[in-house]
Amino acid sequence: MDPEQVDEFVMGYLKKKGFNSAAKHLQESLHNNNGSSFSSIDYPNDPELTKLIRSFSQSENDPSRYREGYSKLRSWGYNSLDLYKHELLRVMYPVFIHCYMDLVGKGHTQEARSFFNSFRKDHEMVHLRDLQKLGGVLAPSHLQEMEFARSLRQSKINIKICQYSYDLLIQYLHRTESTLMLGIINEHINFQVYSGQPNSASDDIEAVTIVGSFHETADHVNQKEIHWGLLEDSLEDRLEKTGGLLSDSEKGQGESKAGDDSKKRSAEIGKQGSSTKKLKKDKAGTATTKVARQETSTVLSSMPRVKPELAMPVMSTDVEESILEDLRNRVQLSSVAMPSVSFYTFVNTHNGLNSSSISHDGSLVAGGFSDSSIKVWDMAKIGQAGSCALQDDNNQIVGKNGRRNYTLLVGHSGPVYSATFSPPGDYVLSSSADTTIRLWSTKLNANLVCYKGHNHTVWDAQFSPFGHYFASCSHDRTARIWSMDRMQPLRMMAGHLSDVDCVQWHPNCNYIATGSSDKTVRLWDVQTGECVRIFIGHRSMVLSLAMSPDGRYMASGDEDGTIMMWDLSTARCITPLMGHNSCVWTLSYSGEGSLLASGSADCTVKLWDVSSSTKLTKAEEKNGNSNRLRSIRTFPTKSTPVHALRFSRRNLLFAAGAYYMSDTVGSIFLNFDRFGIMAVFVNMSRDLRRATCDAIDRRSQIVVRFAVA
Amino acid sequence: MQLAVEGEEKMSIVPKETIEVIAQSIGITNLSPEAALMLAPDVEYRVREIMQEAIKCMRHSKRTTLTASDVDGALNLRNLEPIYGFGSGGPIRFRKAIGHRDLFYTDDREVDFKDVIEAPLPKAPLDTEIVCHWLAIEGVQPAIPENAPLEVIRAPAENQIYQQKDGPLIDIRLPVKHVLSKELQLYFQKIAELTLSKSNPSLFKEALVSLASDSGLHPLVPYFTNFIADEVSRGLNDFLLLFNLMHVVRSLLQNPHIHIEPYLHQLMPSVVTCLVSRKLGNRFADNHWDLRDFTANLVALICKRFGNTYITLQSRLTKTLVNALLDPKKALTQHYGAIQGLAALGHNVVRLLVLSNLEPYLSLLEPELDAEKQKNQMKSYEAWRVYGAILRAAGLCIHDRLKIFPTLPSPSPSFPSKGKGKVISTEPNKRKLGVDSSENRSPHKRLIATDGSDGGPSPMQVDRPTGDANPPQNSVRPSSSEQASDGNAPESRNAKEKDDSKGRAITRKAILDQIWKDDLDSGRLLVKLHQLYGDRILPFIPSTEMSLFL
Repeated sequence: MDPEQVDEFVMGYLKKKGFNSAAKHLQESLHNNNGSSFSSIDYPNDPELTKLIRSFSQSENDPSRYREGYSKLRSWGYNSLDLYKHELLRVMYPVFIHCYMDLVGKGHTQEARSFFNSFRKDHEMVHLRDLQKLGGVLAPSHLQEMEFARSLRQSKINIKICQYSYDLLIQYLHRTESTLMLGIINEHINFQVYSGQPNSASDDIEAVTIVGSFHETADHVNQKEIHWGLLEDSLEDRLEKTGGLLSDSEKGQGESKAGDDSKKRSAEIGKQGSSTKKLKKDKAGTATTKVARQETSTVLSSMPRVKPELAMPVMSTDVEESILEDLRNRVQLSSVAMPSVSFYTFVNTHNGLNSSSISHDGSLVAGGFSDSSIKVWDMAKIGQAGSCALQDDNNQIVGKNGRRNYTLLVGHSGPVYSATFSPPGDYVLSSSADTTIRLWSTKLNANLVCYKGHNHTVWDAQFSPFGHYFASCSHDRTARIWSMDRMQPLRMMAGHLSDVDCVQWHPNCNYIATGSSDKTVRLWDVQTGECVRIFIGHRSMVLSLAMSPDGRYMASGDEDGTIMMWDLSTARCITPLMGHNSCVWTLSYSGEGSLLASGSADCTVKLWDVSSSTKLTKAEEKNGNSNRLRSIRTFPTKSTPVHALRFSRRNLLFAAGAYYMSDTVGSIFLNFDRFGIMAVFVNMSRDLRRATCDAIDRRSQIVVRFAVA
Repeated sequence: MQLAVEGEEKMSIVPKETIEVIAQSIGITNLSPEAALMLAPDVEYRVREIMQEAIKCMRHSKRTTLTASDVDGALNLRNLEPIYGFGSGGPIRFRKAIGHRDLFYTDDREVDFKDVIEAPLPKAPLDTEIVCHWLAIEGVQPAIPENAPLEVIRAPAENQIYQQKDGPLIDIRLPVKHVLSKELQLYFQKIAELTLSKSNPSLFKEALVSLASDSGLHPLVPYFTNFIADEVSRGLNDFLLLFNLMHVVRSLLQNPHIHIEPYLHQLMPSVVTCLVSRKLGNRFADNHWDLRDFTANLVALICKRFGNTYITLQSRLTKTLVNALLDPKKALTQHYGAIQGLAALGHNVVRLLVLSNLEPYLSLLEPELDAEKQKNQMKSYEAWRVYGAILRAAGLCIHDRLKIFPTLPSPSPSFPSKGKGKVISTEPNKRKLGVDSSENRSPHKRLIATDGSDGGPSPMQVDRPTGDANPPQNSVRPSSSEQASDGNAPESRNAKEKDDSKGRAITRKAILDQIWKDDLDSGRLLVKLHQLYGDRILPFIPSTEMSLFL
């Protein structure tokens, strides 16, 4: 290579990069020396350097280079050895989205779009929803504006890859001189190289989930210790103490079996390390009670116990008595002993029912409506008059004595997105799009308090298991803890990257879990307000949460119908429960935690056997068998999506849903002229599986078509 | 979600023309094309953003359908004014412009204010209610109208779907395991026991009544059909068992709560077997004729009830039966069953299928009937049974045929003297009854004859009682010509009424003339039958008509 050529390249490079003064100096020195300024470097003998200089001199703005580079890398990846293929293909997705964002960032909108469309098919299966979001990014400003894109740009993605795959990849990139791809990979991917054989393709879901900078923080956060044990001196304990006297022979049998498991578990707990330290302290403090408990030798007593971090409300003795009575009469459920399911069907809702919930004893049912009202039914009263009301339709409009047979609670000024009962059923808590949470008394049928604090729609509000405290979550991306007697929130949990869609208390009241549209579930310490766990694995927004009664596991259901079962201490997904094919609106654990019930928009209630999984966790973790949780029963409803589920304390399952009027789903059309879109219309297929949403412009062309599957 | 973008090579999926049109609509006329080009991607981004929020609102409203209110909610979330006028009422109708593939416009008709004001108030919508029911009781879904349709029928398809979708996750069970309660199992066992045991007929009768009337037996129907099919194929030698099984079938058919149609195809082969099997029961004393008769009625019942829903049912059945009848290799017992089955299906079937084949068949049967030629008494007896059956079928057919003429007895109610009319109208019935009984009696006599005498029954012997029952007809018939009978018969029959009014008699005569012309062919049929059967057909002909023809 000629020295002059090199000088030209350097000049070109400097100018392109905008180093004008440097370029001027170079020119000056060139004039002065009349020779090459780089003579000291032995570039002619260094081919690597030459190539590098050449590549720098190439016009970097050429958008077609992205397509070329990516398609080469892609075909190489697909043709690689089967053993390493899946690891190498994992690299494709980050490269793909960053290529796209680079193109958009440089203003090549057209090329970006055609690039995106030609390769998006590869990633649709796993990253459908991400791609959907990214598809709308069309201008550099959007990259800045959209949080998802920004977090992708700023963070590195961790990819676990085995040594050999890594070598293969690097070799390929060097050999083909694809500096562009190499640059993207270096910039955005953080390889965690391990020695040995590559992992099997299906084992870790995390490898394919990209949620910005989460992984490092998540790993960090998940190191924190948590105490998932139940509260000391809980009602269950008290029951066992007294129950020792009451228990009949068959109950004793069941308990002795469970006792074996508890031994295993306590051994496991020993391995937990950090978390046991505090336990020991606790145990030492309550040494005398410990002795008493060991005598009873039941499942629950061997579980770790924690002290409440909140000041717990005092429970009145008659409420306590009734709960104890219920617990004593609880039916033992298992995969062979199924629960009875009582279904409350809402009729004539006119598509206005946003949420429903059932009180702990199943006697009260509340519905939150889009017309800002809340309606509470007392099923005990309806039960008396119910049979005759069913017979003649005319009487259904108004109750028997000319009055409606529900309590109407009016006060909100926006659609009510949740209405839940306090554990004894004396209060209703509702949250609405008017950003407020309201507390109602079911005895007085009146609004008691209006809690203001959230800045946006409050999606969900839930009472703590002991009442008094409640948690709320909102579109403003926070979850808040409140107590009934304060107007202001006590704690604010910020950290989610998108709406917080659902919230659930841990049975020991020291933690809350939140599910979000950013596809994660987080666990927060109520006392400190810190995030203590991040659960990554869902592929779409999390819609429902449930905590196992022993406080060890959590189940979360998402928009796609996947339910994930998490171990709280390790923040790992035990197994995904597949079976629903539409949104899982609600989840509920049975009283002793052996069954999980799930209700979905696909008009079914499913029961899952989760007891076998918790017993075999350790043994099967080694086998890597992820399919051990199974659906043991499916109850189809008559075209009624299931909105709410609740196991009563006696293990009767209550379910509620709104009857979906026929299958005549038409089209809905809107005027959108503010955005240049004249109308959007939604078409729903008869089986409710597919919908298309078309936006039409003034010339009546379909400009956007969303297809919802 | 999946995003299908139309027009890939465009800068944005919103064309710049759209932007220009919108700009004009809000009064910006001098929008440069560059600006429009720059705006287009942003518009697309904003729309997507709104839709994303709208989907969130939809999810939180626990719906899977996007509505206008969701979009309003999304705009609210963005602190934008919602678009008014779309949230109310039903969907707006869009119409497709003729000649354009994807050009739509709102079907917005002009409304007269007066009409709106004067229109009656709309009905108040029904208020929200809660209905409570059991979705499951201890894990089993009760078959109540509130629940999704019975799993029995639907379950196989459902399982298949699961198999495809979820692979090994779902364990596939037999659908019936889910629905059969302990009580039903016990019930089934008891019924099966009773059917098999044959020792306790009174209890079995009770069981049949229960089967025919109890509701909630539907889950057992597949079991019963299986049971019947199994037992029939196994127990062809056990006459009583077969009879019991057929009783069970009849009871199931009678039960109004049972939806037996889906299982009919399983049931029919067993039933037809009991009708046309070569051998039913192994003992000589087994009266398999009775069983065949009973089953024939059963078949007719099924055809009558389900013939409308299953159009092929009857045609397939008759085909089977006719094939059995016309196959000379088949045993006579089979022929008997086939004839009885066809006869039970109705007179039309007999007329079309049996009578048309009568001549060749009878010639086939002839040698068997002849005592000299057929030495085997059993065979000969069977032949006579078949002969009797075919005679009865043909006879009933012709009887029916003649009865449907605007009925000679029909004028009788119009007679002023009702008492006499009744006498006339009842007379044929009585006669027919008598004839039937005599016909029915004859087999017994034959039976006695076969048992008692060595010579075997001769046609003459058998027929004598019938002949005796109707001596006048017998004597008159061969000599009289048809024309003569036409004139004579009314006269002789109605001689008693002569004093009533001659005019009436004349009109009736005209009617009869008419009828006679109409049904000349049936007259021919009768003649033919008479040629084949000789006098034996005569008992079937109602006396009025008889006199008419003679």
